[in-house]
Amino acid sequence: MEKNKETKFAKFCWRIYKYFLTIISMFRTNIRDYGMYIALAVIFVIFGSMTNWVFLGPINFTNLLNQTAYVSVLAVGMTLVIVTRQIDLSVGYIGAFLGAYVVVAVENQGQSVLIALGGALLITALVGIIKGYFIAKISVPSFVVTLAGMFIFKGLLMLKTNNRTIPTTNNLFQKIGIGYLPTYDVGGMDLITLIIGVALVLVLIFMGIKGRKKNEKLGITNEKIEIFITKLVFMFGVITYLSWTLSSHKGISYLLLITVVVVVIYHLMTTRTTLGRRIYAVGGNPDAAELSGINVEKIIVIVFISMGILALISGVMYVSRLQNTSPNQGPFWELYAIAAAFIGGASASGGIGKIVNAVIGSIVIMSLKNGMALAGINANIEPIILGSVLLLAVVFDIYTRNVRSIDLVGIHYAKKKYHDELVEAKAQFDLATKELKEAKKMNKEDLIEYEYKFTNAQGLYNKIKEKIRVAQEEDFI
Amino acid sequence: MEQKYILSMKSITKSFPGVKALDEVNINVERGEIHFIVGENGAGKSTLMKVLSGIYPHGDYDGDIIFEGKIKRFHTIKDSVEDGIIIINQELALFPNLTVFENVFVGHEVANNGVIDWDKTKELAKKYLDMVGLDIDIYQLVSSLGVGKQQLIEIAKALSQNVKLLILDEPTAALNDNDSDNLLHLLVELKSQGITSIMISHKLKEVEAIADSLTILRDGKTIIRMDKKDVNEQVIIKNMVGREIENIFPKREPYKGGEVVLETVHLNAFDKELNRYIVSDSNIKLRKGEVVGIAGLMGAGRTELALSIFGNPKNYKVTGKVIVFNKSVVLDSPKAAIEHGIAYVSEDRKSDGLILEETISQNITIANLKKISRYGILDFFRQNMFAEQYVKDIDIKTPSILQQVKYLSGGNQQKVQVSKWLFSNPKILILDEPTRGIDVGAKYEIYTIINDLVEKGMSILIISSELPEILGMCDRIYVIAEGNQTAEFDIKDATPEKIMKSATV
Repeated sequence: MEKNKETKFAKFCWRIYKYFLTIISMFRTNIRDYGMYIALAVIFVIFGSMTNWVFLGPINFTNLLNQTAYVSVLAVGMTLVIVTRQIDLSVGYIGAFLGAYVVVAVENQGQSVLIALGGALLITALVGIIKGYFIAKISVPSFVVTLAGMFIFKGLLMLKTNNRTIPTTNNLFQKIGIGYLPTYDVGGMDLITLIIGVALVLVLIFMGIKGRKKNEKLGITNEKIEIFITKLVFMFGVITYLSWTLSSHKGISYLLLITVVVVVIYHLMTTRTTLGRRIYAVGGNPDAAELSGINVEKIIVIVFISMGILALISGVMYVSRLQNTSPNQGPFWELYAIAAAFIGGASASGGIGKIVNAVIGSIVIMSLKNGMALAGINANIEPIILGSVLLLAVVFDIYTRNVRSIDLVGIHYAKKKYHDELVEAKAQFDLATKELKEAKKMNKEDLIEYEYKFTNAQGLYNKIKEKIRVAQEEDFI
Repeated sequence: MEQKYILSMKSITKSFPGVKALDEVNINVERGEIHFIVGENGAGKSTLMKVLSGIYPHGDYDGDIIFEGKIKRFHTIKDSVEDGIIIINQELALFPNLTVFENVFVGHEVANNGVIDWDKTKELAKKYLDMVGLDIDIYQLVSSLGVGKQQLIEIAKALSQNVKLLILDEPTAALNDNDSDNLLHLLVELKSQGITSIMISHKLKEVEAIADSLTILRDGKTIIRMDKKDVNEQVIIKNMVGREIENIFPKREPYKGGEVVLETVHLNAFDKELNRYIVSDSNIKLRKGEVVGIAGLMGAGRTELALSIFGNPKNYKVTGKVIVFNKSVVLDSPKAAIEHGIAYVSEDRKSDGLILEETISQNITIANLKKISRYGILDFFRQNMFAEQYVKDIDIKTPSILQQVKYLSGGNQQKVQVSKWLFSNPKILILDEPTRGIDVGAKYEIYTIINDLVEKGMSILIISSELPEILGMCDRIYVIAEGNQTAEFDIKDATPEKIMKSATV
């Protein structure tokens, strides 16, 4: 009776231990994708604790998301530019110029907002085609083409604003910049935001289960059920927190809405459409893409047009939020976007980079800015920290590039199974090492024999270690 | 104690994912001899040399390297160079926009405290260039020299680094006869000065001319070591191939004839960068259900011919006609070629064929996204279904269709490449070196796939450097030399000797 209880307890413990092993294995295998989420969580906790949790409170968090909007939108476009092995330095000033163009058209020339936006769209599309033409057709490095564009649009911005700040009082700009979706107040909380949150959770659960069923039908191995559920619980937590925070302030801002719409469209475009597949193929291997019948030049032009359109959206967001256009806007936008894309794991050698991760990268950058200001840290320190984070993120990315999948549960079983073999090989290896050392010391005639022995023992030992390292749980069931 | 062997490599084993490239290979090289390493493509020669020179560092392989009586554990090329082991690869490691004398001393400059002594550099460069018999203006840019002279500069560079063991990986592959002879004389000359050489070569004539001994590798194993007195062509070939041709090529119904599906008429291609014709006056025909081989040496213009047909992605200046199914067509992009039912499996699957970071199912479907999408939206169910089907039909060995192709073995990568092109529903399939760098088992499987396709009515063009493959798989053979079409054989009349003769015109 007593013994039975004990084994039951041991079994229970093993199950919990196994669960943690599984989760840790997942993190270690996918560290490249999750590293940034972990970094963001760390940043949140640090600033939260430094500001008595004001940083994560409703008012500041809403503000943080609104601040991030224009960088996120640029970072989305920049990710695709980087995925196709290019760079775009011009989008900061292009965005600021287009913002100025729209404001001047509405305020000084009396155009309607829609016509002004239409004109700006035309300009940015044309500029995208010209950039793409020089880069793809004439093979001028994108660094040079867009550096030229940066200077040109800086000048155009000055000309357009006549070196003065021009305020705007237009309703639509006000709405975009500082407005919120309609709310329905229930006890200090916005019901609409809460409903959207609940709906999101349901959709996630539904899609997750559907995806698993589809995989089963095709015979593709699903991720382990423990991992699936843990992920769902985690997402549930994030969405709950987000909808609680937003709903207890003013609900969902238009800036946030636009950002989410852009991100969702681009996420779907990159993952579900032929265009997305072609963009990543061109980035992954341009020669192979060309030989696969993909028009590489056309894809690059499309990517630069898309970048231009996002620069327009970003510029309008920025002038709307500040309620003015000024010749001082523009610098560093593109560099924040580039930094966000790289922090988000985009690879400069092409073909790798996720839209959602670029947004996380943007939030990391803006959290540093926002959090340090809130914590009362000298503002001059912020760029130093940002630079270090960027460098660390890329170093991390390179180190984890060839991380191979690991299954700690499998290793646990394998260690038991091959225990004796391993101990024996280790003993042999230690012996050979010791003998070789002594032989060297005594300068023996047949030193080479000891060398042979050593290499053999080393080889054998490594083989067993490798066998354990690659073990999978499935192999032992 | 003076050892007999300057170099011994003992039980060298080196594995790549899925392939054992070297399996307990043993090599012994005597001091002051010219030793040849002979073997078919894929026998493991280059891999062995990479192990020796530290490109694959110690720990990446099993076994021991003993050089001048001591076990060596090289971690980088620098380590092996310091011991006087210098390898000259097929792709020369020169800097085209530097001058001759600069090239000789790149990486080991003559300098005092980091300041280069140019006078001394020039003086020494001249001395070493004289030693290799190269009488040229040392101020010339290397890019302006022919391959033969560039090779000599590499050797001069090796001499300037106190080379004890010089390794040449197929040095004469890209050389004309004159330059080749020159090089062979030089090696003999260097031997008299006490420099040991290892030479990797296919050319049995060279073996007979200057070898003191040779080792034959096959499928990653040492087959035999022979001395000069035992060297004769037949024995070498027998040991190199080691199996009857019938065993490696699956049988196929004899070709019965059919309509012409692809024809080139006076096709020329001019390379603006090289400033010469790389394909001149090509007139080939391919019939329905036929396998036609394009034989020739490396660099003869075989791949260039294929690319000129397949939409000319490298932007050569192409003139002449391509006729597909009795219609003269303009193939100005790979896309156009694909639309006309042509597929091209490239020779270098890593650089032009696959997207290594992406999955098997993504790679298989990339050339025909229309088939798995509607209004530009991908249907993953169909994508994965087709991928699963090819993985099963073509027998791609992988844990999952979602595996990144960079983790597959060469043979399986090649099968992914073939699957990708079959998925584009071609009627004409061009295979460029379809079995390069893959092991014998995978080769057999590729050949079986080829036979299946032909029996279903596909027409196939095979470009290959491996004569047995051309002879074992094709119904008809064209031979190309320096861009010119020099011969055409029916398989009944073709012999290795005849083909080699036409290829080296």
